[in-house]
Amino acid sequence: MINTHVTIQSMVLEKLKNMPLKFNFWLQILFILVFALVLFGPIVNLLIWTVTEVWYFPHALPSQWGFKYWHQVFNPYSNVSSSLFTSIIIAILTVCVCLLVSVPAGYALSKRSMPFRVFWMLLFLIPQAFPNLTVYMNIARLFYEFGLNGTLLGVVLVHSIHGLMFSVWISVAAFSTTDPMLERASRNLGAGPIYTFFHIILPQAAPGIIASCIFVFLESLDEFTGTFFVGAPDISTLPLLLYSASMEGNYQIASITALILLVPSILFMLIINKFMSPEMLSKLGK
Amino acid sequence: MFTKTKIAVLAAVGIAQFTSFAQAETVLNVASAGGQNMVDYVKTYLAPKFEAMHPGVKVNIIGTGPGDAGSHKILEKLSAQQSSNLAKWDIDVAVVHQKIGGQMVSEGLLAKYRSEIDTGKLVSRDSAKNALGTNVEGYVMPMFHSQTAIAYNSDFVTTPPKSYDELVTWTKKHPKAFGYNGIKNGMSGVSFVTGWIYAYGTDAKTLSSKPYNKDVESNWGEAFAKLKAFNKNITFTPGNAGTLDMLNRGEIFMGPVWVDMFYSWKEQGKIPPSMKLALIAPGMPGQPMYYVTPTKAAHPELARQFIELATSPKVQAEGIVKRFNWYPGIDAKYVKSELDSATWNKLFAEITPEDLSQYGKSFPIASYFDDIKEGYERQVSN
Amino acid sequence: MHFKISKNLWLVAPAAIMVAILFLYPLCFSLYSAITLDNGSFTLEHLHTSFELYSNDILFTILIVLISVILLALLSTIIAALIVLSPFRSVVLILGVLYRLPLFIPFIVTAQMMRTFLAKNGLMNNAFIASGLMTPMDTVSFLGWSGIIITFVWKQLAFSTLLITGAMSALDESQIRAARNLGASRFKILTQIILPQIFPTLGVAMVLSTVTMMSVLSVPLMIGTGTPTMISADMAFRVNSYGDYHVANALGLVSYAICAGLAWFYLRHSLKDKGATA
Repeated sequence: MINTHVTIQSMVLEKLKNMPLKFNFWLQILFILVFALVLFGPIVNLLIWTVTEVWYFPHALPSQWGFKYWHQVFNPYSNVSSSLFTSIIIAILTVCVCLLVSVPAGYALSKRSMPFRVFWMLLFLIPQAFPNLTVYMNIARLFYEFGLNGTLLGVVLVHSIHGLMFSVWISVAAFSTTDPMLERASRNLGAGPIYTFFHIILPQAAPGIIASCIFVFLESLDEFTGTFFVGAPDISTLPLLLYSASMEGNYQIASITALILLVPSILFMLIINKFMSPEMLSKLGK
Repeated sequence: MFTKTKIAVLAAVGIAQFTSFAQAETVLNVASAGGQNMVDYVKTYLAPKFEAMHPGVKVNIIGTGPGDAGSHKILEKLSAQQSSNLAKWDIDVAVVHQKIGGQMVSEGLLAKYRSEIDTGKLVSRDSAKNALGTNVEGYVMPMFHSQTAIAYNSDFVTTPPKSYDELVTWTKKHPKAFGYNGIKNGMSGVSFVTGWIYAYGTDAKTLSSKPYNKDVESNWGEAFAKLKAFNKNITFTPGNAGTLDMLNRGEIFMGPVWVDMFYSWKEQGKIPPSMKLALIAPGMPGQPMYYVTPTKAAHPELARQFIELATSPKVQAEGIVKRFNWYPGIDAKYVKSELDSATWNKLFAEITPEDLSQYGKSFPIASYFDDIKEGYERQVSN
Repeated sequence: MHFKISKNLWLVAPAAIMVAILFLYPLCFSLYSAITLDNGSFTLEHLHTSFELYSNDILFTILIVLISVILLALLSTIIAALIVLSPFRSVVLILGVLYRLPLFIPFIVTAQMMRTFLAKNGLMNNAFIASGLMTPMDTVSFLGWSGIIITFVWKQLAFSTLLITGAMSALDESQIRAARNLGASRFKILTQIILPQIFPTLGVAMVLSTVTMMSVLSVPLMIGTGTPTMISADMAFRVNSYGDYHVANALGLVSYAICAGLAWFYLRHSLKDKGATA
């Protein structure tokens, strides 16, 4: 995505060489500075807590630093690495399931000829918009009947339902920005509908769909209530630990867990941006 | 398209099969509500002990989160299994809060097991028989007893209030220096409000015993009005942990807390050593955590043995009292003999045994309790 | 034409069936309990109770979400526009990395971070005092409604900016180039060429953010203080404290109605817009 920005802005740059840019430049730098402070402030707070051992009023900073809580998180009894692994597997499978069903749905819903379009769109909003607290029990009951409780598949399905809101809505937005003229041209030149879809339409919608993958991945990685109802006790993921530590004010454990979860999220984003950049996809189409 | 879906489903099912194969040994599933330290306690202290006694058994512990919400999740999971008519349920031992424990008994989710284990006789507290008006005799074993009390920073508060009346006067002199978390945000605030009703509405004894009388509630109008006025002089905190947090940062100097949480925070260096506790008249409620085992636990025998170990005097002494400074679940006389007097006295350093027996109340029966909360919502916060 | 419509329906079917079986069916039990008494007879009592007890909270929730969404729309458009239009390569690079950071921090951790950051004697005020910008007397606590808004905006900014930047950079470059050649200022390009075209994405980002904010429980629980509070917290309270699913579900209905209302408004608007250009 960044590459596209760069081409646009270098193009704009060419045209603007003779404009009074100095003032604008400093203004933008100022904006970035303020923005960075706002962003980093809370994150610094998080980082400090990961290495805090003793911190109380009236000390402005911790009075004792150390890695005590890191040892606690990684002690031999807690299976952090295996729950992290489960979390990642679940998140990746969730992304796959969401992609499989939401790409066709997003494509169909981007057509204005689609009957009851608003109805469908609102339908996919329900799982996120309707508070889940009261629904999970019923889902768990259903899953016990199907024998899905305590299986990876069950957890993946529950996460997918929530991910669908992101993947469907964003896919629809992505597909509706595609150029209908190109599609028509391709069909007129004798290309089949499937060929046209994969080679003409999909590459155009790819940036949006990729973004939706990232959100689905993150959503799944942070989910814990559904995981408990459907997965526990056989499946344990990291966010469950994060949740209880955070709610009871065990800031160290929560911060460290959050840091651990940061690793797969950022890796996933980098990989997906690297290997599935829009340019790559459009090349695949040629 | 559909073949793709099929492949994905097959792959997922395959992985699911694989994971269930990996757990061929006997697994005892323990679900625990409450803080991370309780989960860690089972994981790092009880489980290794139990596994050593029972080779081939692995204890798998799941924490469901602090507060009633954590217990409620266990209740809902069990009741989902009950309504699906499963022959075997996937939780063997659960640690739950008092109120939810009562609810589970009345919904028929729990096994009556106390007479089957040796440590069953060691229990003396009334809370082992009665959970907010529900008869739970035989279904539960207390893990530890927790109490709410007023925490204060002794650097700034030299003479802590001794009663609700004194507290009200204190907050008038020091506006915004007292903080609690309302009632929607954790039980320490609920306890404070319950204590308020004990003080200005109806006494604890009437409210904690049956029969329920709907008319009692009508006398609380004045108490709630007084509480509403009181609320203007105080700071609201975000949650149980939020109260401790604000105490720690010196934003408030006094507030109701759970004694067990207070000690954990103090031990972790998250509140200053100058923090002290006071239990004020006419008393604030406390509640036990229960060990329970579901009716259709997959390993009923192991579950009973696990609870027996967890409630044995030695484990209660070493694990609960020495490790956490928490009040033991079984009768104190069995625990005391296992410990040196210094450790035992530490338990009462902040709150004397006399105060505890005089001002340590239990929660009202469920219907009154709901009346208190709903009255607060209607008359205080609305 | 008929063939085409049914083909489109087939494409939506897998996703729709998934939602129907795995969510709508279980949801029906909840909806049923929102409008029935324990013995199964129809009643509006629970909805009535929700409004009677929680009308302030409903209003509060709507206000919080509205303010957050407006701030989000403004900020994320500015950042996205800077990234796409700024002539300074370094600015674009830094901003491109910066804005994504909150994306990876779960809501619950954000809430916890903010609690110790925004508090009266929290890290933020401490930093201001240490740098001499403030005296200990002037510090105020941001816990409460302002803290909730700050947390929501902080966390959701990455989400909406990512979507909007994507939409902006997918735009046809030749249009921008043409406008440039005609001497249009960057501001004009933004408001007259880019914004109208990315409106659907902006709308989606805002609708999804609204839904997310309405459903997050940890932020109102950990940052909100006293009353009023957000409906998600009320719902949790209703279930966990009273075991009262009826009123909780009725509140859920209200919450969904708010989300659906906004989504419907957006969808109608965007459909109309499309009709006009086509």
